[in-house]
Amino acid sequence: MAFSFRYLSLHPGNFQDRYSGTRSGWWAWFLQRLTGVALVGYLFLHIAVISTARAGADTFDAVLIFLQKPFFVVLDLFLIAAVLYHALNGVRVLLFDAGIAIRQQALMFWICMLLTAAITGVAGYFSLPLIFRE
Amino acid sequence: MSAPSTSQQEKMVTGFWPWFLQRVSGFLLIFLVGVHIWMTHFSGLGDVVRGHQEELVLFEIVKQRLAQGLFIFIDFSLLALVLYHGLNGMRNILLEWGPAARHAAGMTTGLWLLGVVTFIYGAWALLAFIL
Repeated sequence: MAFSFRYLSLHPGNFQDRYSGTRSGWWAWFLQRLTGVALVGYLFLHIAVISTARAGADTFDAVLIFLQKPFFVVLDLFLIAAVLYHALNGVRVLLFDAGIAIRQQALMFWICMLLTAAITGVAGYFSLPLIFRE
Repeated sequence: MSAPSTSQQEKMVTGFWPWFLQRVSGFLLIFLVGVHIWMTHFSGLGDVVRGHQEELVLFEIVKQRLAQGLFIFIDFSLLALVLYHGLNGMRNILLEWGPAARHAAGMTTGLWLLGVVTFIYGAWALLAFIL
């Protein structure tokens, strides 16, 4: 995997951002790719799980009851966090494409992180009864 | 080869249409994934917590939801767009890696094939709730 380290270090954002003097641009880019690859992996698993419906309603329900146990509810929160970051940073990129807020890119990155944490926190709060049910 | 630093460079590496459609599909997915997660995870939460419903997702619940034309439209659009966006994203990453970039045409064909086959498989799975 030598290529990947070279590739990561070559990304210009690995150096200080022109406007903020931080490396938040590299982190934003890296996290977008990390969550993107993870979500593609999840997507194929998700389609495979849903396709158990073809084996009949009983099979589907047995699989889905297992996958709604507290452990998986917690995993779902990581999924929600990944989706949120990817979507919010995607909006951040769209704004840059439109020439908006380019000089505020570091601030925008932290807004993405804050909103991801906040909304995941709210989702986690409402999921508590599922995580701690008997 | 260094990774693209701006959208302009990115467009040159990936081509205009993949770049443009990645933005369009991403924008639409914000709403489709939002509705999907809300409906599957949160809309039935109260009923599960109060014990009116055993689980959030069960065959009958999905079947009832997919009896509505709107959700058939949402789920099939979601399947197509998420596959396009995800596999196009993989292509963007792979194109920055020399060995894959040298076989760009073959790789693109392979990813399209994977996407189409997965869409058919996913549609077949969804139809279990509809037909």
